[in-house]
Amino acid sequence: MKPRLVIGLGNPLMGDEGAGWYAVSRLAGDPRLPEDVETIWGGTDLLRYAGQIEGRSRVILVDAIESAAPPGTVTVFEDCAELEERQTNAHELSAAQAMRLLQMMMPVRFTLLGVAIWSATAGNALSPAVEARMPAILDRVLEELGWNSSK
Amino acid sequence: MSVVVIEHLARVEGHGGITVELEGDTVANVRFDVFEGARLLEPLIRGKSYDEVAPTLSRICSICSVAHTLTSLKATEDAFDVHVSPQTELLRELLFRGESIESHALHLFLLAAPDYLDYPSAIAMAADKPAAVLLGLRMKKLGNLIQETIGGRAIHPVNAVPGGFGKPPTVDQLIELRSGLTQGMADSDAAIDVMASLPAADFCHSDTVYAALRSPNLDSYYSGDEVMAVSDGNRAIVHAADYRSLTNEQSLPHSHAKHSNFRGKPFMVGSLARLTVNPRRLTGRLAVAMKRLKFQLPADNPMDNNKAQALELISDVERALEIIEQLLRAGVKDERPVPIHPKAGTGTAITEAPRGMLIHSYTYDANGCIVAADVITPTALNAASMELHFRRAVEQCAEREEAVISKRLQMIARAYDPCISCSVHILRRR
Repeated sequence: MKPRLVIGLGNPLMGDEGAGWYAVSRLAGDPRLPEDVETIWGGTDLLRYAGQIEGRSRVILVDAIESAAPPGTVTVFEDCAELEERQTNAHELSAAQAMRLLQMMMPVRFTLLGVAIWSATAGNALSPAVEARMPAILDRVLEELGWNSSK
Repeated sequence: MSVVVIEHLARVEGHGGITVELEGDTVANVRFDVFEGARLLEPLIRGKSYDEVAPTLSRICSICSVAHTLTSLKATEDAFDVHVSPQTELLRELLFRGESIESHALHLFLLAAPDYLDYPSAIAMAADKPAAVLLGLRMKKLGNLIQETIGGRAIHPVNAVPGGFGKPPTVDQLIELRSGLTQGMADSDAAIDVMASLPAADFCHSDTVYAALRSPNLDSYYSGDEVMAVSDGNRAIVHAADYRSLTNEQSLPHSHAKHSNFRGKPFMVGSLARLTVNPRRLTGRLAVAMKRLKFQLPADNPMDNNKAQALELISDVERALEIIEQLLRAGVKDERPVPIHPKAGTGTAITEAPRGMLIHSYTYDANGCIVAADVITPTALNAASMELHFRRAVEQCAEREEAVISKRLQMIARAYDPCISCSVHILRRR
């Protein structure tokens, strides 16, 4: 069985839309990241990573979500049924649809860490509100991987 | 007056709505609003150095990241008079074929087929028709594998650089791709079977102007200098550097994207346009598949773009195999990219992205930094043609029931395989 995988989804050119991308790109250089965890941060199409997901029992996704919670708040979804299937673009499945489709093909458990965002407009940086929460977001991803903040 | 408003395009949410205004049975107005992410990103590259442009603009879209990367590189190379090696051209084309296989497979089997068969999504269709969904996923995976192996990364290729190629594939990698493509040959035939089994979508007929790059060499067809517009037997040629005389972009109050018209008429780009402009491509297995699909040129039904994509799946797989054989025969050399000497000037490139012509045009200063950038996507080029075909479909629809009109218009929109707000994909909780 391949090691656990963390995938950061999002477009870093669309501000907070790229929250997952920014979080996992920073996680990759974090000394607290367990050695047996692999990371990918790419674009917005989860299905593109079917090959990398195949053969793993656990995949953690970090992605932007629309939420009433303050920007930067992380919500954990163990079941993708809690997420709307609606697509926000025409030629790509939503991450929720892609998760369901992948689970039809392979026995993989997804955990989605959804980052509440402030705005998604063109810009190559996170909003100050989400940027300020980034250390806490990384802590939360690492907790999901077994790191204990009280150590 | 009654108004039909379709806010969500075929399971697609966001900007991309269609508004139809009816006065009795007469169609008073049809408006299509498409939000175009690429335009928003142009200012982000102003002042950037030439080597930062392609990696930035590849992020306009995850599905078309190869097309944006290669079109960007070619525009930059055009500005600096750089000519890449034949091996680089082959590797770039292989990347392009991988993207096209992935994009067409995703579109046909996971997005368009559920429309024809009245399923709300690919997930719902998978319960009844797992073979079609698995076929789509398998072909998408093959396209991904080509892009990852050649491009060096699953999305947003890192090996394609100005003047050449980073790390070339190994012989073992090429042999692995060849094995995948051999299965892909059988899968592309099966794709024709699936498409031929779908119910007919015969609800929009229209004279259409098609525009695509003219293929001087039918073997390597992904970029070019000449665009041909074809309509009713008439042909016109526009050179890449004069692309503005083709696009004649106009801002309209109802659309976020500018609309393009050539000689006063909307035009359609994409697979159907490519086959119409270059019918000599339709030989061998494609000619056989054409008959199975009951596909004829010239087409007057925009829904035939789906059939044209299925035909291109065959030619993409065949061409990718040919390139790999060529590379294996010649041996892959470890070449260094051609040195770049920046200079002030403008460069333009047009490629045939999976969903149609993609234009990048840049003006650089003497230090090789961007002064101005113009990125025109196939979806923007198609916006006026989509609006025309929506109007024709409503005019030709005997029924005035909103659900019927809405379904038909959504299927037409889908057939264009549009890229709507493709740079944003935020999830929502139920």
